[in-house]
Amino acid sequence: MSLLVASVGFGLITASVLAIAAVGFTLQFAVTDVLNLAFAAVMTAGAYTAYAVNAAGMPIWLGTLAAMAACAVLSVLLNYLVYAPFQRRGAAPITLVIVSLGMALIVEFSVAAVTGGVGVSYRMSQGSTIRLGGLVLTTAQLAIIGISLVVMVAVHALLRYTRLGKAMRATAANRMLARNCGIRASRVIGLTWALTGALCGLAGTVFAIDVGTFTATSTDIFLILILAAVFLGGPGHAYGAMLGALVIGLATEVSAVYIPADYKYVVAFVILLGMLAVRPAGLLGART
Amino acid sequence: MSGDGRTGLQADGVTAGYGGDPVIRGVSVRAEPGKVASVVGPNGSGKSTLLKALTGVLRVSGGRVSVDGREVTNSPPEDMARAGVGYVPQVDDVFAPLTVRENLEMGGYLLGRGQVGPAMEHVLAVFPRLSGMLRRPAGKLSGGERKMLAMGRVLMLRPSVFLLDEPTANLAPAIARELLEEQVRQLARHGSAVLIVEQRARAVLAVSDHTYVMGGGELRMAGTPAELQADPAFVASFLGGHVQRS
Amino acid sequence: MFYLIILLVYAAVDAMACLGLSQQFGVAGVTNFGFIIFQAAGAYVAAVLALPPDTANGGFQTYVGGFGLPFPLPWIGAAAAGGLLALPFTFLVGRRLRGDFAAVGLLVTAVLLNVLVTDYRPLFNGDAGVALVPAPLRQGMFVTTSNAYQVGYAVGGLALAAVIWWLVHRITESPYGRTLRAMRDNDKVADSLGKNLVALRTGALVTGGAIAGLSGAVLVSFIGVWSPAAWSYAETIVLFTAVIIGGMGNHAGAVLGAVLVPVGFEEITRFISNSNPSLPPNLLPSLQWVAIGVLIAVFLWVRPQGILPERKRVIPRRPWPPWRALPAAAAGRGAGPAAGPAAALAVAGTAAAAAPGGSGGPAAGREPGRPAGPAAGPAAGGFPRPARRHPRPEPVRDILRTEGVSKEFGGVHAVAGVSLSVRRGTLTGLIGPNGAGKSTLLSLLAGTERASSGRIFYQGAEITHLPAYRRARLGLVRTFQLASEFKRLTVLENLLSAVPGHRGDSFLGALAGRWYWRADEAAAIERARGLLARFGLERHANDYAGELSGGQRRLVEIMRALMSEPDMLLLDEPMAGVHPELARRIGEGLRELCREGMTILMVEHELAIMDEFCDPVIVMAEGAVLAEGTMAQLRGRAEVVEAYLVG
Repeated sequence: MSLLVASVGFGLITASVLAIAAVGFTLQFAVTDVLNLAFAAVMTAGAYTAYAVNAAGMPIWLGTLAAMAACAVLSVLLNYLVYAPFQRRGAAPITLVIVSLGMALIVEFSVAAVTGGVGVSYRMSQGSTIRLGGLVLTTAQLAIIGISLVVMVAVHALLRYTRLGKAMRATAANRMLARNCGIRASRVIGLTWALTGALCGLAGTVFAIDVGTFTATSTDIFLILILAAVFLGGPGHAYGAMLGALVIGLATEVSAVYIPADYKYVVAFVILLGMLAVRPAGLLGART
Repeated sequence: MSGDGRTGLQADGVTAGYGGDPVIRGVSVRAEPGKVASVVGPNGSGKSTLLKALTGVLRVSGGRVSVDGREVTNSPPEDMARAGVGYVPQVDDVFAPLTVRENLEMGGYLLGRGQVGPAMEHVLAVFPRLSGMLRRPAGKLSGGERKMLAMGRVLMLRPSVFLLDEPTANLAPAIARELLEEQVRQLARHGSAVLIVEQRARAVLAVSDHTYVMGGGELRMAGTPAELQADPAFVASFLGGHVQRS
Repeated sequence: MFYLIILLVYAAVDAMACLGLSQQFGVAGVTNFGFIIFQAAGAYVAAVLALPPDTANGGFQTYVGGFGLPFPLPWIGAAAAGGLLALPFTFLVGRRLRGDFAAVGLLVTAVLLNVLVTDYRPLFNGDAGVALVPAPLRQGMFVTTSNAYQVGYAVGGLALAAVIWWLVHRITESPYGRTLRAMRDNDKVADSLGKNLVALRTGALVTGGAIAGLSGAVLVSFIGVWSPAAWSYAETIVLFTAVIIGGMGNHAGAVLGAVLVPVGFEEITRFISNSNPSLPPNLLPSLQWVAIGVLIAVFLWVRPQGILPERKRVIPRRPWPPWRALPAAAAGRGAGPAAGPAAALAVAGTAAAAAPGGSGGPAAGREPGRPAGPAAGPAAGGFPRPARRHPRPEPVRDILRTEGVSKEFGGVHAVAGVSLSVRRGTLTGLIGPNGAGKSTLLSLLAGTERASSGRIFYQGAEITHLPAYRRARLGLVRTFQLASEFKRLTVLENLLSAVPGHRGDSFLGALAGRWYWRADEAAAIERARGLLARFGLERHANDYAGELSGGQRRLVEIMRALMSEPDMLLLDEPMAGVHPELARRIGEGLRELCREGMTILMVEHELAIMDEFCDPVIVMAEGAVLAEGTMAQLRGRAEVVEAYLVG
């Protein structure tokens, strides 16, 4: 029983990290129409940026900010130099997916070439242990959950109450009509890349904090979890991604109580394939 | 020439298409402030293509378009909105997942912070029925309500020129008549130039000050509704052949 | 010397894999981001079939099986495993899922299977992988040092790659391959032509999977080890890069890509890395991956068709030398010298091509598996279509008749109680203002949409509840309003793709080879050329359909519909956006068809066309039939004039 409660705790942490990444990924897809499979690779670049800052003696929160900035810039560049030109030429969606896989290789293995294949971890305190009912969490883990909650609320506020957020939703729903309203769609798309890039950098850092030690290829599997969460909630649907992250996070960790931990990802895999087969539009239906 | 420098829309010899052969050739139309101009013609005569060319959705390969005396030929859609052109497409005319209020806010995207509220009040005064449904997603509105929202969204900016692409398509006849006789007329009464493309010729003639007849991608006839209805060639332009003979 | 042999074996393995991938991606348009798992499955299965039980070598590795089977059984098993593994993925590449979403599903599968095999040791020894896999024909020997054996292995591998090439060539250059390419260009239209998309995609997955499995067997039997590190998802990207660079849909391109990318690139950098021990161990492999990523983006931008683009299938005026061509009379199926084996294959072939769904009702005579009885040769003179393969029903005067047909969309009556009849042999026009329900009615008649109420009769029998493809097989065929040609097929190929019951248009038929289907093909080509002549498009027979003008593409669509041997055509605005001169030519062609017995119902908004060609003309307004008569009569009727002006 206590094992089950503990696994719910782990599930919440995984879900927290996953939610940040999945919301970033799904917003990117909704507004820009790019199914960016390089997302996890950019996360890695962010995690290493934070590592570099951290290793230079700065606190990890400063490293996190640096990671967010670096990933925002990297994402904007990817769009400006690669995805946008392909889209202007009218490339098929599948071509863009293949190109994004190419970008994933470039980013991930550039990081690997620079850093070598050695695992690294941040110099930071995990903080004291806190007991909440049956849950046992460190301060750092609580912070991850807290950050994720703040991000979710912030994304909700952005989409519902700000001019930019509404313009993003309008652009996602009907790009030409948005332009007819005077919205500069290309600027909204650029800002979306910056914003989701920052989310990606944040996700990369909290992912690295969560796993402890990481290498350039650590996020390969995490991409699968992101995709599972995104497709579960419905591609392009921000609230769907949040829900998907919660389900996937809890399902993988709680299932580890009943099946060997090595196979916990299989649960995510089965959920994803089942969703694709039965209801490709996802739990929450059409795109925002 | 009205006092505030608004002269409406003028298109001279516009030629445009979707890449291959031009679909419309050398079409000239005018829409004056406070007046309703209409373009009628059978299916496939190039009416919608004309509107897309006028709003920057489609490239103009010949001719020029000006709004309030400023040339805007081939400006991108977002600049057309800034130049004072409001466009209500035939389909995909609202942001379906957004609420009615959010749709109107997007219509007023170019307005300053303090102007959105008054503009929305104005729109709700013109289309009072929208007031009761501000929190509904636009995708869940009925056909008539949806078209009203689409027009209200454009009205947020009080554009110099309204371009309406077959607003009554897919509307029941009674609702269509009301839309044309009440709402469209209102837009002009508020000082905008209205250019409306329609297939329901009789109904739109009743609310027009000036009407253009298109056929085969070209302008066939033009005149006041009274002049056109007196001309047997007008009916022939819809049904072909020589109507007066039979 | 040994290094060269290694390279040759790798070349053979990668060439096979790239051929399999090109068959899926370049020919059938199925993006399989999980391709590598099929190679892996083949390698593992070959290994455990050839290995002795895992207790043999002191039990230092664990795996299932361990059958110690002699060559070539492990290789056969590997190919079978790769093919069988494809079956569960059929649901992902079915018609309901967007291509890029399906690709993501396959990518996810590849990554997770790798994780599973890595973590689950009892299956294939987990992370460490299986080792000491016996080499073929060397029972009990693990390491073969004999030069002659290695040279022989390389030659054997290359020979096997050549066989694979021959096999995919045979499939791709058959009518079945043409159907695969049609599906790649526009799957919805292929569907409407009666092609079974799920079966076609499954076929591509199974073929490619079996080839990948075999390539894995060739590799594992040579290197003797196989572990999860050898088949990370990124290896699939390498193969994709090879196919993109070499040229999608071109077999020589696939082989060239295999030599350039996996072989040239990977193996040679591995060589550099080995000869420069001072470099950081991870640097070169990492940079190599970066370079792969760059190559993908650069090639897709600069030369998306690859170094060797897919070549155009030009069909010469005489497809085969006259001394080999069969006389037209003997061109019927089951006839001619090939009767024996051909008949046996015909059963298997048509069974494989048969669409799901039982037979019954009036359609029975023309259901899939059409009886191989009457000859399929071109009819003598007149409208170039073959003799009937189905018993013609009792001729009725009204070939099509509806009784109170209605269609509701969310409370709106798009079609409201339409009762009409179309006389055999007429070119009937259907006009009406926008939103009158013309296109919807056409969809109801063709079965694209189901009527909410009312009944539809065709050739005197009720068809209200038959799906679209069954109506098409009864001879009631429609065209669409939007251009729907297969862009990267030639005009002639577009026409040929619609031939129903073509013997070469099935997997087994394609495998059987040209001799088996060339009579059907020759007859189809003759028929297609007749149509091209009739509509004046002969000059463009071997042009890509995507390169024609808008009007010519509409013509291609009409001709393609005619190739499916209809008795009645439903045309949706065939002259929209067509140059008036060409429109007139289309009209004349259609009227001539009607004189020869065809019936056509045509929606059109250009009333001048109606004046000239259509009699009678039916007017619809607000979902109902308003009037019927000649155009001149209709103009005199007030309600018609009103409908057009008031809408």
